[in-house]
Amino acid sequence: MFFLHELERTITLHPSFFGPRIDTYIGEKLLQDVEGINTGNYYVVCVLDSFDLSEGRVIPGTGSAEYTVHFRAVVWRPFKGEILDGIVAQVVESGIFVDVGPLSCFVAKSVCLVSELNTTKRDFLTLQKMIPSDIKYDGNSTPPQWTDNADQVIEKGSHIRIKIKGIRVEVDEMFAIATIKEDYLGPLPNE
Amino acid sequence: MLLRSPKNLHYPVTVTELLKQHNADVDKYAPLFSYFYKSTVTTGNDFGEWVEVEKTFPTVFESETDGKIVSWKIDAGAVISGPGIALVEIEEPCRHEVQYGGMCADCGKDMTMVSYNTSSRDSDRATINMAHGTTALFISQSEAARLEEEAKRRLLSKRKLSLVVDLDQTIIHATVDPTVAEWQKDENNPNHGAVKDVRSFQLVDDGPGGHGCWYYIKLRPGLMQFLRHISELYELHIYTMGTRAYATNIAKIIDPDQKIFGDRILSRDESGSMQVKNLQRLFPVDTKMVAIIDDRGDVWSWSDNLIKVNPYDFFVGIGDINSSFLPKRQEATAKEASQVRNKALAPGPAVKKQSGQDENGSVAQAPKSTNGALSRIGEQLVAMGGGGDPNVLQSQSTQQEAAIAAQVSDRPLLQKQKQLDEADEKASEESTNSDSDSEQPSQRHNLLHDDDNELDFLEQHLRSVHRAFYEEYDRKLHGSHGGRVAELRGERPARKLPVDDLRIVPDIKAIMPFIKAQVLRGVNIVFTGVVPLGVDVYSADISRWAKSFGANVSDHISGKTTHVIAARDRKTAKVRQAAKRPHIKIVTMSWLLSCFLQWEHVDEGPHIIHAEPDETNLHGSTKALSPFDEPEDGTKLSSSDDEAAVTDYEDGEAGLTIATDVNDDIPDSLLPTSPTDESRQLNAAEWEGIGEELKEFLGDSDTDSDSDASEASNSTRSGSVTPKNRKRKRETQSAESSETEESDSSAKSQLGSRLQKRKRRALERVSSLTNVASADMSSGLPSPDTTGPEGGQEEEDEEDGGEVKKAAAGNSGEADGDEDDDDMAAALEAEMEAALDDDEDD
Repeated sequence: MFFLHELERTITLHPSFFGPRIDTYIGEKLLQDVEGINTGNYYVVCVLDSFDLSEGRVIPGTGSAEYTVHFRAVVWRPFKGEILDGIVAQVVESGIFVDVGPLSCFVAKSVCLVSELNTTKRDFLTLQKMIPSDIKYDGNSTPPQWTDNADQVIEKGSHIRIKIKGIRVEVDEMFAIATIKEDYLGPLPNE
Repeated sequence: MLLRSPKNLHYPVTVTELLKQHNADVDKYAPLFSYFYKSTVTTGNDFGEWVEVEKTFPTVFESETDGKIVSWKIDAGAVISGPGIALVEIEEPCRHEVQYGGMCADCGKDMTMVSYNTSSRDSDRATINMAHGTTALFISQSEAARLEEEAKRRLLSKRKLSLVVDLDQTIIHATVDPTVAEWQKDENNPNHGAVKDVRSFQLVDDGPGGHGCWYYIKLRPGLMQFLRHISELYELHIYTMGTRAYATNIAKIIDPDQKIFGDRILSRDESGSMQVKNLQRLFPVDTKMVAIIDDRGDVWSWSDNLIKVNPYDFFVGIGDINSSFLPKRQEATAKEASQVRNKALAPGPAVKKQSGQDENGSVAQAPKSTNGALSRIGEQLVAMGGGGDPNVLQSQSTQQEAAIAAQVSDRPLLQKQKQLDEADEKASEESTNSDSDSEQPSQRHNLLHDDDNELDFLEQHLRSVHRAFYEEYDRKLHGSHGGRVAELRGERPARKLPVDDLRIVPDIKAIMPFIKAQVLRGVNIVFTGVVPLGVDVYSADISRWAKSFGANVSDHISGKTTHVIAARDRKTAKVRQAAKRPHIKIVTMSWLLSCFLQWEHVDEGPHIIHAEPDETNLHGSTKALSPFDEPEDGTKLSSSDDEAAVTDYEDGEAGLTIATDVNDDIPDSLLPTSPTDESRQLNAAEWEGIGEELKEFLGDSDTDSDSDASEASNSTRSGSVTPKNRKRKRETQSAESSETEESDSSAKSQLGSRLQKRKRRALERVSSLTNVASADMSSGLPSPDTTGPEGGQEEEDEEDGGEVKKAAAGNSGEADGDEDDDDMAAALEAEMEAALDDDEDD
């Protein structure tokens, strides 16, 4: 989901930038530093306007100056349970990788075995949990695709609507688990 | 999931009550059973005394996971004596078999979470990373087996196999040398024809300074057709040591509509190892249906799935730009391979040209010599192979950047073309001198040759492997369906389950080696002058390659030996030895490589080296000249050749054992690094001089020699010096080259320095004659010590040295270096004396 978020950031400026155009430099540096980063919970999509530029403070020993900037930015934070549109990045046998902007989601095949007591694998009643059971992997087609052999074809580059089932954040990366096994989820008609 | 008693309880504990019944649903941290344990505690009583009391502590055991209780393994009242005892079986709603980015792909739970009662991390359940393009997806062993089974079924239904394809030097050759672009534009350039279809792309993040770097890609001839045909029989995967961006760009070139490789690209970024390639990365469970094509066997540890191809070396001297992380390529095979490409693949005419005097022949030599002269960028790159130490990796990657930057700036191709042009000019001058009506001399020769036909053969081999595999499969499939016998017995053909179908799938690791082993079956190979010194003959790349084709490799010539693989221009002891036995075929490396290429025992005819057992040399002083052959052998041969050499010479005249003496005394490490062309190109006068010199050296009593020599002294000055002086002079000549060594040795004990001196003298004998500048080669195998007449000869040498020492008695306490100065002085003195003698004679 997108938010307008007020943020604060400390900008350190080298003395060579001190001068009449210092405000411009700070603005450029802010955009450079902030836009596109993943702060852990959300991505900063776009800095709208910067306001409240603090007084500069020279850091003892270095000569650089520190400015605290308050600004407003459009941020994007994916939530568990949110429905998103993305583009299929890769199709493999064990599932589908979907890119939703900077977020990389995985729609797993995730077969759950209904009856485990039967020992021959053939008798397993399998059920796909994240992908509708009628959509199967077809590795022999080029490029490989997931398809129900009708109008639903998921291949690299397809537009797809997914629902987030879990999100995990690493240092500068976000991973998500998603599903298309619900009403109105799945491949979207390409315009 | 079976819960076991954890390590951190206070054992023994006694179960008092099971709190959950069979089939009950439990949550995580839900109490499963209550128990008590006893412990002694120190408490104060009413009188203010501290006493130790044993107390009973009742508590509950909490579930580690949520799920449904399948069965209890304990009862109320049971005493659990220690950790590791089964408590309860809980069926989990999700086994977390597929994990993506630290989350279970099935339920979305965080797998990295660890709580106080976790016995094993959830992330350990799925440890196999088998997807091509990502490192974040892990699956469990059973999931991997299931996926692979499905993939196999799919392949069997399409009658395909899997083929893992390496990029660099296998199906393409890449360089970053910008010269290629210039040649592409310049239609007059001799290389234009070869490079006009070179493809290029730019990688922005790569290259020096991150400015982006243009890569020039030459496709191996016939590649597109090869891929198109092979992709009908195989499902192709790319497995490269290049970066992801590099691999995808190459894939765009060789597979523009993604029909051949699709997304099945595995690059360095996802490979998991910088040094080796591992088939288990893509096929974790079994590799029965997988073949590999690669130009390097060592990175695959010579897997049975591997078809090793000749490295594609189009841009001469560039090597593999992505191999800096790999272990160093064994040089001999690579070099030989590049040498034979021009000759071996079209054996007849090329070889004739080689031996002939015509212009083409001399030019064909030119690239080779430039190869040696210019430092190979690729070599620099591969030399950096090292361990998995992160620091090493860091330095390797920076070095690779540096090497790529060097390639961009140094333009090795341009340099070589220049050299080639120079050679051309010389050649044309010569040809105009020799015969006036030769073709126009302005014709330049091209550095790059577009004459590789590896892929044609490779396609045949892959086809035959595929055919053999599915013939075997059909046979087994038919047999397992009961067949005729079962029919007669009146059994109904059992309905085959696909699971069983997979069980009868034949193993490519058995089929392919079997086919290959037929190629050189019964061939016993001895290498001479091909395997680099210091490399074990049995584990050298070329031997392992030969062995994979069913050949036997041994290090000495015996009755079983059928082929001796030798270098064309070197007559080693083994070659001579083999020449005595008519049934042994002495062939060049090109024969072996042609066999590898064609998977056939090809006719040896064009590759035979003709060597007579007792070859007559240039000027009659044949045997005496052998020292000049020997050192060359020594540079390249394994030490076992030295032994052969000894026996060989001992067959000959006993008085000439000086030859072996030279060789045996030198540790291989001290021998000149490269076989010198100069020694072969000595002109007749020099040969004569050397011959005389040796005669003198051997026959001190020969009184005529002095006067004879002094007569001839105008042309060969050296003839006038007495043997002893000659030796000293030699020492002085090479004193400079071995100066560092001397300074080292000077510090050592007298014994050590004597040994050193012996070695040095022996070395000098060689080096002064072959004009070798550098003698620092990494230590090889120590040569066996000699005994017998040679030793005696050596003693004499030693005495000579002793005389010198006596003469320089005043400096006896000083270091060796001084002694050598004295030697030089003595030599000069002697020379002066000789000159005076000459005057007197006149």
